[in-house]
Amino acid sequence: MTAANAALGGPERRGFFDALAPGGKRALFLLALAAVLFIFIFPVFWLMLTSLKPGWEVFYVHRGTEFTWANYVDVLQEEIVVRAFINSFVIATLATVVSLTVTVTSGYMLSRFKGRIASTWFATIYLFRCIPYISWVLPLYFVTQWWGIYDSYLGLLLPHIAVHICFFSWIMKGFFDGIDPSMEHAALIDGCTRWGAFRRVALPAAIPGVAALAILCWLYTWNEFLFALILTSYETPMITVVMAQFVHELGTEWHLMSATAVMAMGPAMIVTVFGQKYVIQGLRV
Amino acid sequence: MAEVVLTDVNKRYGTVHAVKDVNLTVDDEEFVVLVGPSGCGKSTTLRMIAGLEEITSGTVSIGGRVVNELPPRDRDLAMVFQNYALYQHMTVYDNLAFGLRNRKVPEDRVREEVNKAASILSITELLKRRPGQLSGGQQQRVALGRCIVRHPQVFLFDEPLSNLDAKLRANMRIELKRLRERVPTTSIYVTHDQVEAMTLGDRVVVMRDGWVQQVGTPLEIYNRPRTLFVAGFMGSPPMNFIEVNLREANGYLYAEAADFRVRVPPVSDAALRPYMERSAVLGVRPEHVLLGEPAPENETGFDGGIDVTEQLGSEMLVGVGAAGTEIMMSRVDPQIGLKLHEKVRLSLNPAHLHFFDRDSEQAIV
Amino acid sequence: MGLSDGARLMGDIVDKDMATPGRNRAPGASWLSRIGEKERFMLLLIAPAASVLILFQIVPIVIGADASFRDWKLYDPQMTWIGWEHYIYVLTDPVFMGLVLPNTFLFMFLSVVISLVLGLALAHLLNRDFVGQRIVQTIVLLPLMVAPVIAATMMRWVFNDQFGVVAAFIEWLGFGQIAWLAERWPSFFIILFTDAWIWTPWFTIILLAGLKSLPREPYEAAAIDAAGAWRVFTHITLPMLRPVMLVCIVIRAIDAFRTFDQVWVITAGGPARGTELFSVYAYIEAFQNLNFGRGSAAAVIGGIIILVVGMIMYRILARVLEVSR
Repeated sequence: MTAANAALGGPERRGFFDALAPGGKRALFLLALAAVLFIFIFPVFWLMLTSLKPGWEVFYVHRGTEFTWANYVDVLQEEIVVRAFINSFVIATLATVVSLTVTVTSGYMLSRFKGRIASTWFATIYLFRCIPYISWVLPLYFVTQWWGIYDSYLGLLLPHIAVHICFFSWIMKGFFDGIDPSMEHAALIDGCTRWGAFRRVALPAAIPGVAALAILCWLYTWNEFLFALILTSYETPMITVVMAQFVHELGTEWHLMSATAVMAMGPAMIVTVFGQKYVIQGLRV
Repeated sequence: MAEVVLTDVNKRYGTVHAVKDVNLTVDDEEFVVLVGPSGCGKSTTLRMIAGLEEITSGTVSIGGRVVNELPPRDRDLAMVFQNYALYQHMTVYDNLAFGLRNRKVPEDRVREEVNKAASILSITELLKRRPGQLSGGQQQRVALGRCIVRHPQVFLFDEPLSNLDAKLRANMRIELKRLRERVPTTSIYVTHDQVEAMTLGDRVVVMRDGWVQQVGTPLEIYNRPRTLFVAGFMGSPPMNFIEVNLREANGYLYAEAADFRVRVPPVSDAALRPYMERSAVLGVRPEHVLLGEPAPENETGFDGGIDVTEQLGSEMLVGVGAAGTEIMMSRVDPQIGLKLHEKVRLSLNPAHLHFFDRDSEQAIV
Repeated sequence: MGLSDGARLMGDIVDKDMATPGRNRAPGASWLSRIGEKERFMLLLIAPAASVLILFQIVPIVIGADASFRDWKLYDPQMTWIGWEHYIYVLTDPVFMGLVLPNTFLFMFLSVVISLVLGLALAHLLNRDFVGQRIVQTIVLLPLMVAPVIAATMMRWVFNDQFGVVAAFIEWLGFGQIAWLAERWPSFFIILFTDAWIWTPWFTIILLAGLKSLPREPYEAAAIDAAGAWRVFTHITLPMLRPVMLVCIVIRAIDAFRTFDQVWVITAGGPARGTELFSVYAYIEAFQNLNFGRGSAAAVIGGIIILVVGMIMYRILARVLEVSR
């Protein structure tokens, strides 16, 4: 309470948090932090634990300190799992590379230009971003069959790219908004065509942002479920779908399924841990 | 011959008419400054010359050929931007080399030109660094280097010194003048700072609201402003303005306002006769407001009390109440001990009185 | 992201215009030459993206809309035109109108509110320097890297009412075995919990970035004004975060509407379709009841609903957050 406050005779504007002694505030803080950490880590931890228990033990929480790698071995021997792993990896990587290439020009256009074409494109992207996936993936089931790309790389890649365009054009636009257009003007005067100015001046400046987006894009594709579910079958299994199959088809073999799940998380974790700094930067709206 | 000619150039953004009927000829190797307040259209005009803005109507020609349809890269000019616009991800060397490489100049020529430009601007030690590692002044010199390295026909400057602090700005002005001597090129320079305009330009173009108000040498603009705006814009501290009524007495014309009366000098007599019994605006610069008794025939003096003083060291600015609420600023010797509210006698230099029509804001000559 | 002007960090640096030779040409010139270099460049920039979009979103949607008017079974696609029959069916289906739609909206609302509140609290918590802040931040990012399917699977296992660890815990507490996955609302709760688990970090990260970019001065002024922590939060922090929050809410709400993964894995819409959401409904109609036409109709209806709701929500939210100042 300041002298000024006291002089005015006003009520002390202190609330619950201020009333706590510094020690109390600290305790509350630590408690909250501990709760958060527990909630976030525990399910993952439990999953990992389950994946290391032999089949029968899974159903008994208390008993058994017997841990085994057998689940992982079993799962990796299933051909479909290995193929799914490879497919998910290839598609995530390909989708990221192509999507970013296509989206970066789209975002640049939205950033640097105004007028009817730009606002139409803007509105189109927004519109298709809002439409539920099920609404266009459902018919895509047939469309991919008619075009002969059902259950193939292309058939999964291109729809993903379509989604990425709608998602990431915004963010790309944001990146380019943050880059001074005078550099491009200078480049135009220095002898570049518009495309040259984009490619040699604006694009290099946007690389850090694009790198962040690459990580987000990769993770998103790797983790995607619905498209994979509808648009693939036995030719091109994807890890998310294969993992879910354990639940419905083979009964509930939790031990095998958790092993698959942990493996599916692996690459995602590696990518995230290494790219954490860029992700936070990249998500800055 | 790198003459730049603007003929009836206009720029419209939808309903906004940003540049109105600009006509201007910049001679070969002439340094012309476009000056005016924000939003007056000077930058837009410059950018139309550069090709960064579409020309709504009119023509721009450089070196004799009309360039309306040409993209910036084909107009053979160079531009310095307010925020330097250096290529952040390239070294200084590459920044300078960029334009030459775009034109497929062989690498050894590039090196020669870059080094030459770097030595002219004293930035040779900085060649390996990146723009992010340079100070503001250094960056601006690199921007200048980028300009001269291609030997273009025209230099364009878009408020290049506005981002620098006052001291640096003064230094850079001198650098620019030195550069002019070493690399004389047709130049068009945009600024809102009238000091830059006065010191740098061979000729000055004063713009306001899209219109060109006046074109002339710095001294012409200063001594013979054609509009009220130009008179008030150029010169610091600005010109004093007082609304006066013109009356005749004893065969002479007098300009009068509340407890203020000066005789119209003979040189302006003829022009002002038509304004008898009407009002006009009297303008006089602070350096032409003199302390002390006027010669009797002049009768351009008046009394007043000192309302404000500003001691600058090199001179003192004194504000005297005149004509009721107006304050007339006067430049006086800094050593004179003048106090607030002291009564003084001021006289106006009759050779330097300006009169303006109150409605049209044009000078009455 | 990047939806509203309030989210722009830097001032007006968007270029207005670039030269367009070709504008001053004769009016009789062909369209291609009249559109000018600038327009051609713009179209070139979006050409690849536009073609993918057309082929893989617009065409399917058109076909889907067309399919919704036809008798189209997955095993016997006669494709005869039956007009609005499917739409009438769906719109009068008590499951759709009475269970699925209310579920979806309820889920949308709760999901966003819970994730927002918790995300805000977490962001506030993380917005200070303490030992191990980096590690905590990484852990908070954890759910973001886990696929929703996997998260749902984890939660389904943890909350398994027979063998799960939570069940074991409750049994240990002495409550005996409760078959909560057979009840509607407990299942709903688990789905919500999973969703909050997945999406709170998303809010946290974005809001944290937002908090970090807030200016210091208002806080210093508040400190001088002797404002308490809670008042500072509600009167200074929240209003300044408004634009970011608004964008996040709208994005997340629209996404929440189309949730599929979690529901499918945890309950597949059960028990007795009690936790079914809109996407699941359409999926079931198309791939389990094998009635593609009806599934498409449901998908179209949902699409229209979310578009309308999305627009309304944006307007209302902007006004509500304005008024609450």
